[in-house]
Amino acid sequence: MLPKFDVLTDEQINKIHKNSMRILKEIGIEFSYDPVIEIFKKHGQRVEGHRVFLEPDFVEEMVEKAPAQFTLHARNPEHNLVCGDGNTIYMPGYGAPFIYDADGGKRDATMADYDNFVKLAGASKNIHMTGGTVVEPTDVPDDIRHLKMAYSHITNSDKCFMGSSSGYEFARDSIEMTAILHGGLDVIKEKPALICLINSVTPLKYDDRMLGGLMAYAETGQPMVIASLVMAGSTGPATMAGALSLQNAEVLAGITLAQCINPGTPVVYGSTSTASDMSTGSLSIGNPENALFASASAQLSRFYGVPCRGGGGLSDAKTVDAQAGYESMMVLFAASTTGVNFVLHTAGILQYYMAMSYEKFMVDDEIAGMVLRYLKGFDCDSDEKMAFDVIKTVGPGGHFLTQKHTRKNFKTEFFRPALSDRQSFDAWAKDGLDTNQRAKARWQEVLANYTAPELDADVKAKIEAFIEKRTKELIK
Amino acid sequence: MSTIFDEIKDAIVDGDEDLAVELAERVIAEKVDPVQAVQLGFIGGIEEVGKAWTNGEAFLPDVMMAADAMKAGMDVLEEVLAAGEGDGGYEDKGKIVLGTVEGDIHDIGKNIVGALLTSAGFKVYDIGIDQKAEEFVAKADEVGAKIIAASALLTTTMKSQKTLVEYLNDNNLRDKYKIIIGGGPTSAKWGEDIGADGWAETADEAVELCKQLLA
Repeated sequence: MLPKFDVLTDEQINKIHKNSMRILKEIGIEFSYDPVIEIFKKHGQRVEGHRVFLEPDFVEEMVEKAPAQFTLHARNPEHNLVCGDGNTIYMPGYGAPFIYDADGGKRDATMADYDNFVKLAGASKNIHMTGGTVVEPTDVPDDIRHLKMAYSHITNSDKCFMGSSSGYEFARDSIEMTAILHGGLDVIKEKPALICLINSVTPLKYDDRMLGGLMAYAETGQPMVIASLVMAGSTGPATMAGALSLQNAEVLAGITLAQCINPGTPVVYGSTSTASDMSTGSLSIGNPENALFASASAQLSRFYGVPCRGGGGLSDAKTVDAQAGYESMMVLFAASTTGVNFVLHTAGILQYYMAMSYEKFMVDDEIAGMVLRYLKGFDCDSDEKMAFDVIKTVGPGGHFLTQKHTRKNFKTEFFRPALSDRQSFDAWAKDGLDTNQRAKARWQEVLANYTAPELDADVKAKIEAFIEKRTKELIK
Repeated sequence: MSTIFDEIKDAIVDGDEDLAVELAERVIAEKVDPVQAVQLGFIGGIEEVGKAWTNGEAFLPDVMMAADAMKAGMDVLEEVLAAGEGDGGYEDKGKIVLGTVEGDIHDIGKNIVGALLTSAGFKVYDIGIDQKAEEFVAKADEVGAKIIAASALLTTTMKSQKTLVEYLNDNNLRDKYKIIIGGGPTSAKWGEDIGADGWAETADEAVELCKQLLA
């Protein structure tokens, strides 16, 4: 495994840490949810209304309780994932309400799109889990969306997935469904199988919905990503160090809360901080600042001894063009090589999380494959790999194409593109397809050939019964 | 020699709220024509910033701070303007009630829209975040606004925009106001679906939309 490089010195890490602690102690952070206020009061922290002022020693003590790594269990154990320990986990984009198609069109995302992206993630060897809220299925009433989404992950793939964090009740539904899949709540308490995304509202707030979700996951020992998205220049300071300190304060406050509720509950330190577009105030994500925030967050996570989420195949482009490619590669590469463990939004995102694109998904899948290969680095562990003998056999002026050593090794040593075109000009010119067009053909082919792994009929029936019962209760 | 109008204009361009207030107070104390102070000073300044922004020379903080300075200064002059003092009287381009819908506490986009509307000469009443339909309407009724602008950032809170339109329908107030909506997950189609009068994707498009609706 490749050594991870740092973007902050030890002294800088300390300065950021101290600045964040000062923010938490002197400025405080607002939690709108009353049960949370009670928790902080019980732990002796100063509370004024909904604002909580956290003591640095207390935060450090609580963060210390969070595990450095954990295993997320899939229904197929071959797809179990270790989050932390230098691993990199890739998954689809999260939360986009729109689909941008290959011809430049825009439409609302639907449940059919949802299923498709889960299947594409299920089929990919570069995408390790099927993610969560892979699009917003706008054709499903939002009271039961979380049920349909979980069902899609459970039935269309046997990889790990994410659950709803949209309030306590919906979060509990996702957890219940996962419990049925794995044989009971006790089983997943022992072997965590569902992870969710909790976001602060920058600057320095957490809302009811997210706090309810956080409580549900913490109570049942299911992992969660606790993330902050500072838009430097608009929802945060325009300096990188200031924005990072603010993000760090928010994330540490969330981790502290999770550990108060259930000491040792697995958490992931999350960052999606980035620079605002200062002309329009809009979010922008395909930029060097985002890459730096992801890398710095990976380093801060190592400092605090927890896994990290950040980066992704992130772009502000509206279609699969050169911008989509270079931005996505920059942010994914930076995050992966500097030690981000959990990469939400690896594949599919266009225009600062607003849209998913099938073609972009395939491009990002290719980028992910390239980065994963890069992360494997060099294997110098055997004489076979050092290849002295074959160099001697060929000698000066020969070639290696007909050596057994070559045939034996190239497939595992080299990345093989699924999408990139390496043909001659004439061969390419026969069809003359650009990346966007090739990606379109490719996802259609993958979907057509995909078979979902079989799910035990009894388990499936139980999950469907649960959905039916909850749907009746939720749709009045 | 620079006039007080130039000083006001410079204060707006610099986004200096304190100075804008101080100069507005001087306008009253020295009995300067308040309408001229508005036209040549405040509006002159905000137009200059707006133009620079359109040309890509100024950035959002420049525009928003200029709008804040203008609002602060204009608030000082409100009484004398309302009393009809000055040459020809002064009227804003229209009143707009702006807020983030119930259940949603995101406000950065809304604030940007507010600033750009202010800089375009509209009188904006920002009622803040997490606002119920009745609160939008109460404010619009109180100030006599023609447009109600509702923002939502979450797919889960978009439905509150629909609730707002329904509230107006239920109370037979639909014809009294123009409802416009915006926010990340919203779309022209969503605007049509819920029966809003307009939708804009960006803040400057929102300004154009308001100009059209009040034309």
